[in-house]
Amino acid sequence: MRAKEWILERFPIDYQKFIEINEKIFIKEPIPYHMKKWFYAMGATPLIIFAFQVLTGILLTFYYIPSPEMAYESVRHITEDVRFGFLIRGIHRWGSNLMVIALFLHMVRVIFTRAYRPPRELNWIIGVLLLLTTLTFAFTGYSLIYNQLSYWATTVGTNFFKAVPWVGDTILNFLRGGENVNPNTLTRFFTIHIGLLPPVMTFLIFLHILVLRLHGVAEIEGREGEGHYPFYPSHFYKVIIATLFLITVMSALSVVLPPGIGEPATPDETPIHIKPEWYFYPVYRILKLLPLSIGIYSLVAGLIVLTFWPFIDEYFKRKMPKVKMHYVFGTLFVGLILILTVWEAMVF
Amino acid sequence: MANQDKRATSRREFFANLFMGGGLFMAAVTFLRDLWLYLYPDLGRRRYTKYMVAKTRDIPVGKARRLLVGRVPLYVVHLEDGFRVFSGICTHLGCLVKWEDARQRFYCPCHKGIFAPDGSVVGGPPPRPLDEYRVSIENELVFITIEQRQGRWS
Repeated sequence: MRAKEWILERFPIDYQKFIEINEKIFIKEPIPYHMKKWFYAMGATPLIIFAFQVLTGILLTFYYIPSPEMAYESVRHITEDVRFGFLIRGIHRWGSNLMVIALFLHMVRVIFTRAYRPPRELNWIIGVLLLLTTLTFAFTGYSLIYNQLSYWATTVGTNFFKAVPWVGDTILNFLRGGENVNPNTLTRFFTIHIGLLPPVMTFLIFLHILVLRLHGVAEIEGREGEGHYPFYPSHFYKVIIATLFLITVMSALSVVLPPGIGEPATPDETPIHIKPEWYFYPVYRILKLLPLSIGIYSLVAGLIVLTFWPFIDEYFKRKMPKVKMHYVFGTLFVGLILILTVWEAMVF
Repeated sequence: MANQDKRATSRREFFANLFMGGGLFMAAVTFLRDLWLYLYPDLGRRRYTKYMVAKTRDIPVGKARRLLVGRVPLYVVHLEDGFRVFSGICTHLGCLVKWEDARQRFYCPCHKGIFAPDGSVVGGPPPRPLDEYRVSIENELVFITIEQRQGRWS
């Protein structure tokens, strides 16, 4: 107890108040009863994975060298020489994949339970921004490996911006730090990946949770008033279990299916079978099916519908109260993404 | 027996705490150990390399000759009792010393450190004598043995 008094004397906060706030905000956060079911309680998964990404990402920067001559070699060094390097890189790589999956599942669950219904539309939009940030993370991170596939994925991926009307070329040059993919592209992507995106992501997560807490977790539509239980211990332990489960899964995947390094990037030769990472398959498939500008416009249209879906859903609700439009939208969302992904996975 | 019930922690709780705490502690220790192993650079194995640095005939007694092994400057000195090889890096703060033939001394220009031909400190701030290499003479050739660690990036 003496230590506590010593600290409180030098860090004079109202300890009783602190305990009260802590109890009110964390320990006794009211969790609606349906979250006793695991199916509804996995919203924290992307956050847990993000925490692992931050940790492993910091560790990777200890060895990664963001220069065209050294990038591939340093990734190889991490994977093959550094003790536990393969594991750190494996967890980071698998974490990025699982994070996309976790976000997708979280979104699907939110769509089908209509958890975005008023007054929570803004949190859905913040969620969409979080998805876009995650995908930017994934894209920039993948390019840092600097092997053949990641180099050409970067080339192709940045080329899409050309189709943006009027400012396409400007954006492209800005992103690449030149007209072509060049040494500056790598440093830019590195800076975006480790310097710019983490604070953006952290801020968005903070907003997401803040809005969530201000409203309280949405109850299931039509089952309101089932009651609440406190965050601690039941939900707290759910999060701990999820964390342990995830670290186990990511470690196991890293050991069983460790990320490879491929061929070093050669800017004067495009490999025959070039593909982005699987989570960009739907986008890639659409762009293969349609002419570039139409493809881009339809993707942007899809993104706008996704972003403002809570408002669109509300509109349909007023016009056609009996139709459950969110089921239609959710099925389309899942169906399209799955079909396009599988389609792209099967075709070269 | 009645007293036992009044104890603050029951036996069951004690063991639960022991295993939980012990498990967490061991996990933390293992994590920190692995973290250290990951972060600490791989220095590589020690290797000893022998370099020929001079012919005995070329350096008369009382003379010194400067040469570079890699980027490290060395001085081969012929004293009356044989050859000695010193590192040319001042032991004070790492500047490069200079052999002054007329004064028969090593002089460091940074902080006026002075070393005798046998490497010992004669004046100035250096805390210890010049670093010395192991010397062997075979067939009138002077060799030194250098310990190197072949790290990944060195």
